[in-house]
Amino acid sequence: MVTDRLMTIFELLAQHERTRAEGGALCSVAADLTDLSGAGIVLGSAGRAMTTFCTSTDAARSLMDIETMLGEGPGVDACSSEGAVDEVNLPTAHMARWLAYTPLAVSAGAGAVFGFPVRIGAVRLGALSLFRNEPGTLTESQASDAYLMSSVIARAILSFQAGASPGTLAAELEREATFDFSVHQAAGMVAVQGSMSVGDALVALRAHAFAIGIPLSQLAISIVVRDIYFDPISGTWRDNLGSES
Amino acid sequence: MARESLLIATIVELADNLVDDFDVIDVLTVLSLRCVGAIDVDAVGIMLASPSGELQFVASSSESMRILELFQIQVDEGPCVDCFRDGTAIVNRDLADSYDQWPVFAPRAIAHGFHSVHSLPMRLRGRTIGALNLFRSKLGLLDEEDVALAQGLADVATIAILQHRTSLDAKVLNDQLSYALNSRIIIEQAKGMVSQATRTDMDHAFSRMRTHARNHNLGLTEVANMLVSNALAATDLDS
Repeated sequence: MVTDRLMTIFELLAQHERTRAEGGALCSVAADLTDLSGAGIVLGSAGRAMTTFCTSTDAARSLMDIETMLGEGPGVDACSSEGAVDEVNLPTAHMARWLAYTPLAVSAGAGAVFGFPVRIGAVRLGALSLFRNEPGTLTESQASDAYLMSSVIARAILSFQAGASPGTLAAELEREATFDFSVHQAAGMVAVQGSMSVGDALVALRAHAFAIGIPLSQLAISIVVRDIYFDPISGTWRDNLGSES
Repeated sequence: MARESLLIATIVELADNLVDDFDVIDVLTVLSLRCVGAIDVDAVGIMLASPSGELQFVASSSESMRILELFQIQVDEGPCVDCFRDGTAIVNRDLADSYDQWPVFAPRAIAHGFHSVHSLPMRLRGRTIGALNLFRSKLGLLDEEDVALAQGLADVATIAILQHRTSLDAKVLNDQLSYALNSRIIIEQAKGMVSQATRTDMDHAFSRMRTHARNHNLGLTEVANMLVSNALAATDLDS
């Protein structure tokens, strides 16, 4: 059942990529998939400046601008929360939660807003914000799709950072729809090898797998069994004989 | 210890853990280890469904590569996938007869020395949230009593996941599942750091993290978070 939903996401991505600029396809797919009025993706983790990565419509763009300008709203909260954040009836919402955001978001046309964290383990990449013109909760299947979309977005952001071209995003993601436990272990190992954050290690791993044309999970296993390591002095990847790999 | 007493001891130990702030991965790891002690099986693990409905590995009696690989394959196929999809137990399945059904999983499990697999659903009010997976290297069948005992432990595991037991709405459950799965990823990232910094294997890295958590009265996920955020150096872990 998840495989079917993932295939739907990849098909929608492939369609939207023909008509939308970089990243834009992700937001359009998120809105289509969940059958909501609009979607936006913000980048940033708790306490750090946030920027809008993409939005699905002009109305979504206005809402994301309000959030990033004020530093409050569902996406901002989701960036640092463990689970999803929502306000299912924004016009009657308790103002104290998002004092400045609420009236502006309502006048921009939002009836209900939702925020889903976009992260890979301890690496927080940002959040997916969704909104609907009318108030109301998400159905269980809409919420499931939003969670699935957040995990696709996390991998997509990683691919973008590692230099994958937007036109091949759907194919790239399809190859790595699920993360291997060895990818996370390898990210931890490379973080120590290169004295970098786990997030940067994930990007470095992804970029190297992309450069040498092997799946990320295959490179990860070579790292875990110590066949390949990252040499911080030269900034290159080497095998256990010391030659560049 | 008799098996019934082992089960009771396990439930009491878990109940102690469940009283206040507890670490879900740690509790499920304890449960998997106890399961190996109480039932005649060689490896036990737990897979949970993410809020989007995909099974992911969360805890096991062993952190070795060969065992984790068998859970990794089951994101796509295997006894846990079938058990989770249908909500029914799969017991005493002979791996040698399962090549058609599980073309990737069955040969790998046999290559790792197992003869049979068993998978029991973790159910909560009509919803299946995951599956308990047992591996056996010996020939012969698990008897009914073994299966009942394993199902009892699967039920305890289900309760352990529901930290906010007063409110069982779908959103809270989704948040709990999402939290448990994300904790597992943080733990893998931290295991990688410890393994690299202290030149040990993943199994040993994991037990050092657990030991440190217990000695300092911290949660396992908390220790993993401290490592990943560089608030704690891997070389400073208790050994």
